Amino acid sequence: MARNGTVIRTEGLNKNFGPVQAVRNLNLEVFSGSRFGFLGPNGAGKTTTVRILSGLLKQTSGNAAVCGFDMNTQRDAIKAATGLLPESPGLYSKLSAVEFLEFIGALNGKSGEVLNRRIDSLLGMLGLEGRQDDLLESYSSGMKQKVLVASTLLHEPKLVFLDEPTSRLDPSASVLVKDLILALAEETETSFFICTHQTSFAEDVCDIIGILNAGELVVHGAPNDIIDSMKVDDLEDAYLKVVGGQVDRKALLAWR
Amino acid sequence: MVRQWLAIAKAEYLVLSASMRPHRRAYLGILTSLAIIWAIIGAPILIGGLISMIIPMATLQPLLQVIFPGLMRTVALFLWIVLLLFPLSYALQEIKIGQWEIFLSNNVRTRSILAGTFFGKIPLFGLIVIFLAPLLITPLVLAFEVNLIGQILIYGVITLMSLGTIWLSNFITGVIQARLGESSRGNDIAKALAMVVAIVVIIPMYGLMFFLPTMSEMMGMNAFLVLPSTWFADTMSWFAVAFNDVGLTGSQIIGFGSILQLDMLTSTVLMGGFVLATVGLALGMSDRVFTIEAGVRTEIVTTVGKENIILRGVRRLVPGSFGSLMVTHFKDFMRKAQNLSKIFYGVVLATIMPVLIMSIDIGEEGLVLGDMFVTIVAMMALVGAMPFAGAGFLESKDQLWIIQGAPHGASRYVKSRIVTQALIGIVLIIIPTIVLNLLLEMTFFETLMLIGLGYMAIFGGMLVSTGVTAGNPNYEDTKSPAHQTNVMMSVMIAEFSIIGVLLVDVFVSIALGIDFFGILDSILGPANIMFGMSFIGILVQWMIGGLLVWTGIRKLSSPDN
Repeated sequence: MARNGTVIRTEGLNKNFGPVQAVRNLNLEVFSGSRFGFLGPNGAGKTTTVRILSGLLKQTSGNAAVCGFDMNTQRDAIKAATGLLPESPGLYSKLSAVEFLEFIGALNGKSGEVLNRRIDSLLGMLGLEGRQDDLLESYSSGMKQKVLVASTLLHEPKLVFLDEPTSRLDPSASVLVKDLILALAEETETSFFICTHQTSFAEDVCDIIGILNAGELVVHGAPNDIIDSMKVDDLEDAYLKVVGGQVDRKALLAWR
Repeated sequence: MVRQWLAIAKAEYLVLSASMRPHRRAYLGILTSLAIIWAIIGAPILIGGLISMIIPMATLQPLLQVIFPGLMRTVALFLWIVLLLFPLSYALQEIKIGQWEIFLSNNVRTRSILAGTFFGKIPLFGLIVIFLAPLLITPLVLAFEVNLIGQILIYGVITLMSLGTIWLSNFITGVIQARLGESSRGNDIAKALAMVVAIVVIIPMYGLMFFLPTMSEMMGMNAFLVLPSTWFADTMSWFAVAFNDVGLTGSQIIGFGSILQLDMLTSTVLMGGFVLATVGLALGMSDRVFTIEAGVRTEIVTTVGKENIILRGVRRLVPGSFGSLMVTHFKDFMRKAQNLSKIFYGVVLATIMPVLIMSIDIGEEGLVLGDMFVTIVAMMALVGAMPFAGAGFLESKDQLWIIQGAPHGASRYVKSRIVTQALIGIVLIIIPTIVLNLLLEMTFFETLMLIGLGYMAIFGGMLVSTGVTAGNPNYEDTKSPAHQTNVMMSVMIAEFSIIGVLLVDVFVSIALGIDFFGILDSILGPANIMFGMSFIGILVQWMIGGLLVWTGIRKLSSPDN
């Protein structure tokens, strides 16, 4: 795997929402062609980080460079080089999958036959070819998620941000997305920055893991290194050891 | 046992009064006190004073006595429609049958759901009634000098009418929501219906304002007899007659009987029967209404066909990604029932408003279209602003993230949206022009001016709406304060930027002694001054609209803080 450059570099990145500090002093480096898994509990600051790095949210302090572009001055260049799969689907209910992808392509300045071929190939790859002309309002949440995945990859970004890519997918669709990420990373050197709660997914897909807790990056390294260093069986145990969450059965039923 | 309906009513009330949440009790207490003071003291003094200022009560009283039974029917009809349709329109803006799932899974009886949602609405709509009712009652009380018992009975009828109507409205809302279902498609249709329902209210409102005397003549008294509102109105009129302190004679009372046609007993029985029937009907059918099923409405899968000739034409005229964006906007806008109903709404307003203005009787010559042109153009601006203000711009914040994710995405989105809406705006001028031509027998020049300046005003209104909404997107939440602000701001700016020019002219003439009208007169001729004024007004509107779009794009493009 080629590791000839850095796609993300952050220096002391902070983000406050009033009194709440969502991201604390984040120093991070993600290499080109890698699959970075960003783990953390709900409200840890994963989505906030992704939004800052994709140019949608201003940081309170600190600096970042994405795909070699400066976060403060080259947001449009960053947007052109990256793709974002948001946490919840913001699809147009009255457009079909093809029409929605054409819209996304047009927003990115693409049109015509090249775009149409790309749309067909992505929809085929994701198993949506039979429903591609149906309005999105009739799609299941998993199908919507697949359309969003296609929209993220449509303009062939160098870096893809995936915020909970498999949260609404059934197991077989999750495997499909997993294989897609691995294939794209290996064949096209696309880099992935994946936010997820699913530790098994992260362990299977990602070559580097970062665990965020209360806005702070507390663990960083390869999955096996993390497991070894924490002396646990798998990434889930490592995660639970870092963020807590072991269930106290007595306390759980104390109300009875 | 927990009273289920009470829990539902409480939840409904909390939702309805959510906007005053931090000081709910204090606000509600103040509002209720104000309403009661208004009803008992304020309204009688104010209305009595106003009437006496215009004509002395002694002179007016016989006249009021004659016209009041007829007038009462019209006003009661208006109140009935408002009470029936506004809660319905409000509720349809958000389908809430997801809550039914919670109720039914908790073994709540369907009657409790119906009763709970009804009683939850009472505090808010009750307040509205307390504020409005005295306006209706006071002239009647003054005309017949109704004694205390009579007044109590009349207020009782108003209360019964309000409760009965809100109950019926609540029931109809339930039926419609259940039929539409909680789906993207159902929500869209519901919002479209909410808009159409509003038209049904607005047309009689304008009718009442402009045609009240003529309408009574045209419809005659008999036309009213089949309307439930008439039974309430007639019962109130009968109570006023029966408990009068003006000393009506037996023959006078018989005279009222011939006007009202139905006697007191019949009116009261019909009124009471109607309320009982609606209560019985709703309770009897509640099991059938509150059902959750995946009917055809949620299973409909719409497959898009080939693009029509208009879309293909757009692609040919505007090749590349900008044309693709326009085609997407067309599809997105025209496939939503709520947008189509907004266009319909705009066309109806554009058609009826000039006709209503032209029908104002100000003398033998009446109005010349040219004289009213600034007003008509300002209304066209309103027609252009309304369909594109607030909802229908972006469905959700997530959608905005996607658009912002593309380089210059927000800017390209808004610009292509404006060009698309400008094409849709053509419908808003063509249909009203055809109808107005037929109704007002316009000259060729007037038609040309209406199409040209009217369309420019519609375009300006659309520009203002788009700019305002882009600066403060409210997504699909039509109940949010942001939506109300967007609609109000868009309409006000679009309209007053045109009318404002007239006011500025008057000010400039008085304060600075510059005769602007005279200058226009010398350039365009006296017959065309208003066309010139309209043009200047539209230029101002376009400048403001352009500025709003520019700031809107900047706001929409900039990353969140």
